[in-house]
Amino acid sequence: MSSTAAVPATRTDNFQARYLQAYRWMLLARLSEEKVAALYRGGKIVGGVFLGKGQEALSTATAMALKPGDIFAPLIRDQAGRFAFGEPLLDCFRTYLGSRLGPMRGRDGNIHRGSPRDGYFPMISHLGAMIPAVAGALLARRLKGQSGSVGATCIGDGGTSTGAFHEGLNLAAVEKLPLIVVVANNRYAYSTPNSRQFACADLLDRAAGYGVEGHHVDATDLAACLATLQNAADRARAGHGPQFILGSLLRLVGHGEHDDASYVDPALKKAALDCLLVAEDRIIAEQWATPADFKSWRADATARIEEAVATSLREPAPDPNEEQWTALSTPRLREGYIEE
Amino acid sequence: MPRVPILMPQLGESIAEATIVRIPFAVGDDVAGDCEVLEVETNKATMGVTVPCRGRVVEWSVEVSKSYPVGATLGWLEVSDDDAARHGLDQAAPEPVAGSDEAIAQSTRASEAQSVAPLVRGLPVPANAAAAGYLSPRMKARMNELGFRAADLAGIPGRGAGGRVTIEDLEAFLRRLGEHRQTPASTMRVAVADAMRRSWSRPLATVGRGVRLDVLLAHRKKSDPKPGPALYALRALAVALGENSAPGGRLIGTHIVHPKSIDVGFAVETEDGVLVPVLRDADQTPVGTMVARYNELVELGRQRRLPPNAQGGSIATVTNFGTFGLEWATPIPLPEQTLVLGLGAGKVVPAWDGKVFQPVTEAQLTLSFDHRVLDGGAAGRLLARIAELLQAPQTL
Amino acid sequence: MITYLEAIREAQYHALANDPRVYIYGQDVGEFGGAFKATKGLAKEFPGRVFDAPLSEDAIVGSAIGAAIEGMRPIVEMQFADFSTCGLNQIINHAATLFWRTNVPCPIVIRLPSGGTAGAGPFHSQSMEALYAHYPGLVVMTPATVEDAYAMLLEAVAIDDPVLFCEHKYLYYHLKADSLPTEALPTGKARVARQGRHATIVAYSAMVHEALACAEELASEGWQLEVIDLRSVKPLDTDTILASVARTGRLLVVGEAFPWGGVTAEVIARVAQEGFTLLDAPPVRINAKDTPVPYHPNLWGTHRPTARTIAAAARKLLHE
Repeated sequence: MSSTAAVPATRTDNFQARYLQAYRWMLLARLSEEKVAALYRGGKIVGGVFLGKGQEALSTATAMALKPGDIFAPLIRDQAGRFAFGEPLLDCFRTYLGSRLGPMRGRDGNIHRGSPRDGYFPMISHLGAMIPAVAGALLARRLKGQSGSVGATCIGDGGTSTGAFHEGLNLAAVEKLPLIVVVANNRYAYSTPNSRQFACADLLDRAAGYGVEGHHVDATDLAACLATLQNAADRARAGHGPQFILGSLLRLVGHGEHDDASYVDPALKKAALDCLLVAEDRIIAEQWATPADFKSWRADATARIEEAVATSLREPAPDPNEEQWTALSTPRLREGYIEE
Repeated sequence: MPRVPILMPQLGESIAEATIVRIPFAVGDDVAGDCEVLEVETNKATMGVTVPCRGRVVEWSVEVSKSYPVGATLGWLEVSDDDAARHGLDQAAPEPVAGSDEAIAQSTRASEAQSVAPLVRGLPVPANAAAAGYLSPRMKARMNELGFRAADLAGIPGRGAGGRVTIEDLEAFLRRLGEHRQTPASTMRVAVADAMRRSWSRPLATVGRGVRLDVLLAHRKKSDPKPGPALYALRALAVALGENSAPGGRLIGTHIVHPKSIDVGFAVETEDGVLVPVLRDADQTPVGTMVARYNELVELGRQRRLPPNAQGGSIATVTNFGTFGLEWATPIPLPEQTLVLGLGAGKVVPAWDGKVFQPVTEAQLTLSFDHRVLDGGAAGRLLARIAELLQAPQTL
Repeated sequence: MITYLEAIREAQYHALANDPRVYIYGQDVGEFGGAFKATKGLAKEFPGRVFDAPLSEDAIVGSAIGAAIEGMRPIVEMQFADFSTCGLNQIINHAATLFWRTNVPCPIVIRLPSGGTAGAGPFHSQSMEALYAHYPGLVVMTPATVEDAYAMLLEAVAIDDPVLFCEHKYLYYHLKADSLPTEALPTGKARVARQGRHATIVAYSAMVHEALACAEELASEGWQLEVIDLRSVKPLDTDTILASVARTGRLLVVGEAFPWGGVTAEVIARVAQEGFTLLDAPPVRINAKDTPVPYHPNLWGTHRPTARTIAAAARKLLHE
């Protein structure tokens, strides 16, 4: 049932437009994350910073395969996909910089953000947990008689070892839900290499075990990513059940910005490709853009990022005196603890 | 031009500080935005510290190889107004609102200023009255172990909240006691102590006056059997209370509880304490009729064999401290009584009769009372009536 | 006569009938009708809305969260409360945090067949209410009566927050009522199950019935014990407890769960903090023993509190 995607890149205007659009999401994500890293190392961001450098092509392609009304539950290295799915740039920086006006209002930070009612699910840190959640949302749509939408969620090689991954994917398979699970095998779960993570020859072998369709993709190749994810989304939408996409790549940064990734095999580092540079090379080779275009795209993204950062920094931080210290939505059920 | 701090970032979720490894830029150097201007090292990794926008390094507050906490200002950057505005650095970062020591201190002060509502969740029950007299449950438990009463703590200056005596104070006190010779107190001593402790929970006062005993002593001489001076005093007190029982009442809550009958006790000293036998209906019984019973109860009391009907239930007590040669004392009323009448030793003194000094026998009468129930005036009037009655012993 | 179990089935029937957003998901809940038959016949009555899940507690709860975001009101049945620990992460980290993080409520009901029955052993007998009550963002109901089993389950479905519905397996068949209620106290209000003036026994779930039996026994000795049925352990009705302690001056708290921490400790902590001056004696708590729940009825009968052990503790308390 599993198949390696070998979709030829069709040289249509449509393809070119999609490719360039994807590239610009990737670029915005890369520059945003570089800014996030700089703000972190300048003491402006507290908590963790976890970046997706090298995973932008796979992430963007995942979100671009989705349509309005679809569901997207990204993971920690999906800044590009978040933008492509429609997350406002400002929401990203508001969350990192702790603005009260951000979607998480200072209650949660960094990549733990989203807008559930818009189909943009905020991840929890426990890996695999979002798979059943997206499956359940798709199940709900079926119960409501809504059809035609799909849901996508992202995970890494390490996350495939969790029980939640197994339970969620199995449940989705049993219910034949239009769920796309994108596994970015970036070779290391924090510092743990693939060899200590799983024993099967190829993670994609698991797709057959669940009875779902599997697809390989070279995640440094944007064209392949776009084609594979589009194909998978089409198949899910057409009723072929869950789709398991395995993207191969190398994480080009540490697990978080506090991690210098000294454990990464030097040979892997040397051989690694950066999906953003690969895409640039392709654009130049195809003559889809001039150096001036690149320069202007970069300047445009930088200006937007600077504006978002400046706005977020000026916004008020959450005020503990104004905070509603309750986790329940029903006021009458809140506990009446004595105020100290 | 605005100055922007160069901050020690949080390099890892549990990292508290980092060590400066290298300072590639000197004061006066221009640096680009997001440029790494310092290299620092944690136990997790080596990392560059960035500046938020381009500018000129104008100050370093750090030294290589030294460690600085997360959030510390490591140096200062001077930036142009335009750059500051463009990067959102033109306004001071919002101060932390709470969690700071000052905010907590303020909220503590605010709550201290609030008055204490004497309610528990709106229920009509009193809240704790925290004061020097408060005994914590832990203290009470320890005192129960030791058989202590609150009065036993009187000699301990409390070092706890509001001057309360803490367990530590108590234990220190006990260690000091260990240096003294100790003998067990008798059961009776402990019982008297308990009664006195309860008595002393009230505001007590004493009034006194002299009374001439010549007429009384002459009457006694003629009588057979002979009543003692204390019995005359007891009878006079009973008659006076029979005329107006209010001063013999007890204050319970917001009411004066009046006596049902005028039963009066008298103090009998035994080897290890004082017993108080009771003469019932003393206002109805003449002195002569009471002498035999009085003498009998004195004897039984000394043997500690008082019958039950002669114990308890009296409304006042008479004590003849004159038998010890004392002229004046301030006895303490029993806990369930408001009054104690004291009689001092009689002695012959010169008295001016308007012409010459005459020898007369005079003693001091004292009346100690619960000041909640009666005032000095009422006590004085009662004592005056008793003195008056003692001048007419034949009526007693 | 209607049993506690039938009341739970009836409540689910009404929830399904009255609200198209409701569906029931869990192991064997479909055509089979559930391990305890709490969903008997519902799959047939409501085609496609009562269906079997794989043996995947994490995914069952996780999917309910996703469905709740989509506007549904799922009822999830855990086959035994004990197995909910396999879905613990989704319950405490995902469902419980969703509203607080995103302002989007998570209206799911997780039914937990709870508590001990003779012979059920360590893994089919646990009382999980304290574990869930510990986490912010969850409501924990512990109905003790047929009426509450019905009314509170209906309320649980209507509440916008995640509800852990701890239904006691022992009461399933042992407890009967004449009819289902038309109205009930709201969740968060405790019930005075028996009035008294000498001591207050606070209990919940099956222990309410042990406490009532104890009160009956001590009544013959001249003691009048007040019995409070908490109904829900979170929110906990501190007001009703304090009002009762204000009347009686003595407090005994009974729970079937393990002794460390838990509901009984929470009740006593609150009374000690807010009602210290109401107490004439140190409060007492009675729980199961600090071991797994034993299999053999002889051991099980001693492991958990009973009317007899509660009465022994109450007599001691009354003389303190």
